[in-house]
Formats: sequence, structure tokens, C-alpha cells
Amino acid sequence: MDLSKAVKRYIPMSETMFYILLSLRQPNHGYGIMQQVKELTGDRVNMGAGTIYQSIGKLEGDGLIKPLREEDRKKIYEITDLGTQVLTIEAKRIRELYRNTEGLL
Amino acid sequence: MKDTKKVWLTTFRYVVPAEYERWFEAQEASGWHVEKIGQWSSILMTLKKDKPRQYRYVVDMQFSRRKDYIALYEEFGWEFVGQMASAYVWRKEYTGERPESFTDQENIERRNRRFAIAVLINLILFSLTVLGLMIGFIVTFGKTDMGQKLQFILGMSLCAAFAAYLWYVWRKILKNRNR
Repeated sequence: MDLSKAVKRYIPMSETMFYILLSLRQPNHGYGIMQQVKELTGDRVNMGAGTIYQSIGKLEGDGLIKPLREEDRKKIYEITDLGTQVLTIEAKRIRELYRNTEGLL
Repeated sequence: MKDTKKVWLTTFRYVVPAEYERWFEAQEASGWHVEKIGQWSSILMTLKKDKPRQYRYVVDMQFSRRKDYIALYEEFGWEFVGQMASAYVWRKEYTGERPESFTDQENIERRNRRFAIAVLINLILFSLTVLGLMIGFIVTFGKTDMGQKLQFILGMSLCAAFAAYLWYVWRKILKNRNR
């Protein structure tokens, strides 16, 4: 998938997709992603097995992440260049949102 | 007191995934334990009397699962109960908050959409069968006797009735896709 198509499909990004991509900047497997995201958000975002499995499938299918290897039946994934580009565009969008909330709080 | 009971056609009665999960959970809560689920469980399921348990059941539809599907669910603490065709049944005993497998709206709907697609494929197949029988009936009309004509009509009616039921199921799943 090329970048413009990926941008159309993923931005604005759901919280689930954002945190999966963010956590896959380092190789990780499904359960590890859930743990890391839980930690990052202070237990607020607690993703279930079905949500993670389906999201990984979608991200892999669109080429935003790729499988690296298998460790005792577990698949380890990592973000791709395309995934990093999409994540960066989303991060910039969130920064803009953040700036525009100043004065609100 | 009998310690097993047989339940017919559960998949055809509780067609909305969330409703099917609740049905399993109600059985467990009243002490009717599901031992195993296999290919024929959709037709006839055997439950065993045991102590009441608080379980969370999850039904999922996977047409072609990846290799890590089972391992991933198991790592999250889900027990694989069994599968009927492409429908997978998972459960987890819990106290406190009822655990979820699909934790966001987008993925709940994606799961439900797969159930709707599975039903839709069968609906199309049965509709084509009705159409095929209808064409056969008309083409051979002059050459068939009364008995053969009745067979055609019976076959068409049965397939049409089942197709109508599938249409109702498909609509119902779509209507409940956010659950």
C-alpha cells in the first residue's frame, strides 16, 4: 500500500491502532503489546485478545507492520517504514490538536 | 437427578454473537457446564450438571486464521472450548468485571461483520439452489409426472424456507452489530 492510501485509511487513527504502532517500534508479540500499552496509559487502555489479533491482521495486511519471527507459537511483529511514516503524520496531527486545546483547560 | 442435558440447535436459536455468549454464560451460572464443543455441537450440545461457575464466553468467526491465533488467545488467559465450522468458542472464568476480548467498538463490529458475511454466503448458496430447482422444474415440466413435480416443489419450499430464515438471521446480526 502506498503512503497516500495508508494516510486516507488510517488518519485520524483510532487509539487502538495508534498504540499498537507506537509499541511496535520495538519488536513485540500480541500479549506484550497489551502489557506495554497498559503501562503507557496507566491501565486506561486495556486491549483484549480479539482486538489485538484483528488489528495486527489489518496492519500487517496493509504493510504497516511485518512479522519478524516466531517464538514458541508466538509471532513477533515490528513496524515498517510505511508504518513509521503514518505514525509520524498522526503524531503531528495530535500535536496540532494539543496546541489547539491550550486555553481550554 | 439427571446430570446431563442435551440442547438442540443452539447456533440457530441464538444467532447474534453477543446473545450466544450470554446464553453460554447463563448455562454455566446455573451449573450447566459445557465440556467440549465440536463440529456437531451446533446441532446438538451436551451440558453436564456441575457447580455454578462465572464464565465469560466469546464467540469468534475466523475463515482462515493465522498461525498465532490460538496461542494469542491462550496467552490472554482464554480457554479454547472448541469450534463449529469457522466459529470459535472461547471462555475465561472470572470474578469482578466481565472480561472482554473485543475491547473497542471498531473490532466488535468487525467480529460481527464476519458472522454476517458467513450467513450471507449461505443465504446466497440457498437462494441459488432455489433458483436452480425452479429452472429445472420449468424446463422439465412437460416430461415429469406428478410425483416428480411434488419432489421439486418440496425441495424448493424447504430451501426457500431456509433461505428466508437466513435472511432474517443476517438482518438481525447486522442490526445488532454494535454489541
